[in-house]
Amino acid sequence: MKDSDKKLYRAKIVDDYVRGKMSRRNFLRNAAALGLGAGVLGAGMMRPQPVFAQNSLEPSKEDLDWVREVSAPFRGTTLRLATESTPPSNAINSQLKQYFEEASGMTVEIEVLPLEQVLQKLTLDIASQLGTYDLYYIDQSWAAFTSRDVFDPREQLADKPDLAMPGWAVEDFLPALVDGIARYEDRLVGVPYDIPIFIMQYRKDIYDKMGFTAPVTLEEYYEQAKAITDEMGPEMYGATGQMKSGHYSLECDWTAWLWGHGGSIFDSNGKFAGNDDAGLEAMEYWTRLWKTMPPGVTGWTWDGQGQSVAQGVAASMMSWGEFFPYFDDPSATKVSGLMEAARCPQPKHALRTVEQTGFGEIPGVGHQGGSSLAVSRNSKNPDPAWIFMQWATSYDTQVLITALGGGTGPTREAVYDDPRIIANRRVGAGTTRHLDVVRDTIAMDMGSEPDLPEWAELANDTIPVRLGKYFAGEYGSAKEAMDDIAQATDAIVSG
Amino acid sequence: MKLGVLSADRPLVWMLPLIAMLVAFTIIPLFYNIWLSFHEYAPFKRRLEFVGWENWRLLFSDVRMWEALWTTMFYFGVVLTVELVLGMAIALLLDAEEFGFGVLRTVLTMTLVVPPAIVGMMFLLIEDPEFGVLTFVLDSLGILDKSTPILATGSTALWGVMLADIWQWTPFMVLIFLAGLRSLPPEPYEAAMLDGASPVMTFRRITLPLMSKVIAVAVLIRGIDVFRMFDYVFVMTSGGPGTSTYTLSLYSWQQTFSFIKWGYGATLSLFTLVIILVIANLFIWLAKVRW
Repeated sequence: MKDSDKKLYRAKIVDDYVRGKMSRRNFLRNAAALGLGAGVLGAGMMRPQPVFAQNSLEPSKEDLDWVREVSAPFRGTTLRLATESTPPSNAINSQLKQYFEEASGMTVEIEVLPLEQVLQKLTLDIASQLGTYDLYYIDQSWAAFTSRDVFDPREQLADKPDLAMPGWAVEDFLPALVDGIARYEDRLVGVPYDIPIFIMQYRKDIYDKMGFTAPVTLEEYYEQAKAITDEMGPEMYGATGQMKSGHYSLECDWTAWLWGHGGSIFDSNGKFAGNDDAGLEAMEYWTRLWKTMPPGVTGWTWDGQGQSVAQGVAASMMSWGEFFPYFDDPSATKVSGLMEAARCPQPKHALRTVEQTGFGEIPGVGHQGGSSLAVSRNSKNPDPAWIFMQWATSYDTQVLITALGGGTGPTREAVYDDPRIIANRRVGAGTTRHLDVVRDTIAMDMGSEPDLPEWAELANDTIPVRLGKYFAGEYGSAKEAMDDIAQATDAIVSG
Repeated sequence: MKLGVLSADRPLVWMLPLIAMLVAFTIIPLFYNIWLSFHEYAPFKRRLEFVGWENWRLLFSDVRMWEALWTTMFYFGVVLTVELVLGMAIALLLDAEEFGFGVLRTVLTMTLVVPPAIVGMMFLLIEDPEFGVLTFVLDSLGILDKSTPILATGSTALWGVMLADIWQWTPFMVLIFLAGLRSLPPEPYEAAMLDGASPVMTFRRITLPLMSKVIAVAVLIRGIDVFRMFDYVFVMTSGGPGTSTYTLSLYSWQQTFSFIKWGYGATLSLFTLVIILVIANLFIWLAKVRW
């Protein structure tokens, strides 16, 4: 049996065992056949206990009773939502909305689209005020320009006490996420719905082979990535990225390195600051790190980045934590059971404070790309949409989303400690064994982009187009590229 | 038989449905677009505001627009030339009653029924730097190594996109040229053969002149299509790296639908229309096409 097949088989039997599909006796027999000792029981598993049976993951009866009661006047209503293909949306769309629909008598139509198409649908709906969509999936980078077009959930709670879900409160969401994702000035742009956030994800087997542990500093991360690429390239690269020219993902990567070198996108005067000394140091670091990545990296968004790890081409990435449960899926990747999660390497220089930046930017190596869910002010069915929104973001639904939807990071603090989530900390599809790292990153390393109405254009075009030009060699130097970005950004911001 | 207003000598009545559709879907949108180009959407006021000639002034001072225009013209020139030459060459080869040629001619139509976005996805994989077959071949031949990803390198990205277009639409040219070749009279060829003309001379002196109208129509139809190309760049490069594959259509779309600059987007599309009309009419005049 080839080494890769062995690993795959090992991951599969571990997954079957912890899911309760295989007896301990059979597991040990299979493990022994692979030449593994009983120690494999603990490999990659924080709790090597058989987990819940899938049928125990049913929505709360109390919640559905509430849905049934308050939805009575709205039976027959159809609600529409356009959303990115994220674990919460996929879990609700494929597995959970049927419970809501049965209880409420409503129909929920969810369009799952690439992020840039969600932005187009949303902006067109806002501009036309047609109310095609009742609920908006709002990436944190769009919070500012959508803030006046959605209901503040606090107002909805106050205005419609008869529609308030028992126990549902804005205060239950992680405060850092409420501030970073859903707040614009004094308004709440819905509530945090999902929290993809940069964490360190690496191939434990390769790091062990190279004698490495999870990198603590950015420089160490680079040295490790370079050593792996030098030693194992071109079959294996030390790092990977999401660096497609003109795509939002490229801007996301940039901010992690920028913030990690003590820089910021804006200064306290609202001027672009990515071309200062810290910004240029970040570019120098990023350019070096880029050389340790697979050659196709400048054509990849997050999908390509994740695939490069999943298919065993890259050994590490500092990227969205929601990839981790996917990596653990033995039916989908070559790296099930081989990945480990850790906090991002620490910044090289002290992070700038919010006061030193502009437009509410919060520097932090753990770039967050969270989204909020909100009811559109243009909706013709705001009350039914509000009922759905509360149910979709309630404690119990979040637990089910996390457990069934692929181990995405919950936006409610208490969900992390739910026994059903803890029980899922094992190697295999939809694992939650990385969620402690996610929670620590939210608490200690989280970086949030600035909030300004022009940010969607800046983050989706102005900055990533020019960064793409830089990596395509169309600028003489990083300084020239960043100065060009500064000029374009300041012109747009100043109107 | 009396048909009243539906009699054969009242063609206008029969044309009314077509005229109505033309007015509804072409004339009115065109005038609306012209009106829109003098307005701009104000996001915070949630309404269109009159801006006079501002969008047109912006158009001519917009560096991105000029870059996109240059990219479009370059794409237009290369793709059209290659499809024309290749299309004629293949048509000449297939213009014979050899065994299997009928099947080949049928197979040629297959690329035309694939949606361009799907062709874009196919070539995205074919040109992938890790596992793309084209990358592998070019790497094996020592022409381009894997460290130069075709679609992520400024100097090669547009060529990578052109390849998809040429693959899909050359058969269209072949089919039109084949139809033209098959309708040519045999007498001039018989005379040329008796006079001992070489195949090249026969092609230059007989085939090309006789085919000129067919070629002109094919070039005109494809030319208009190529100039407003959108799908391939949208799927394969999103305009990148940098702005190296931004075409006018992609730029218009981005300004209109991503940034909700409806007025400027309308101006860009009108500008594109004007260029297409100028080029098309110039070509019609030069090629002496008579409809």
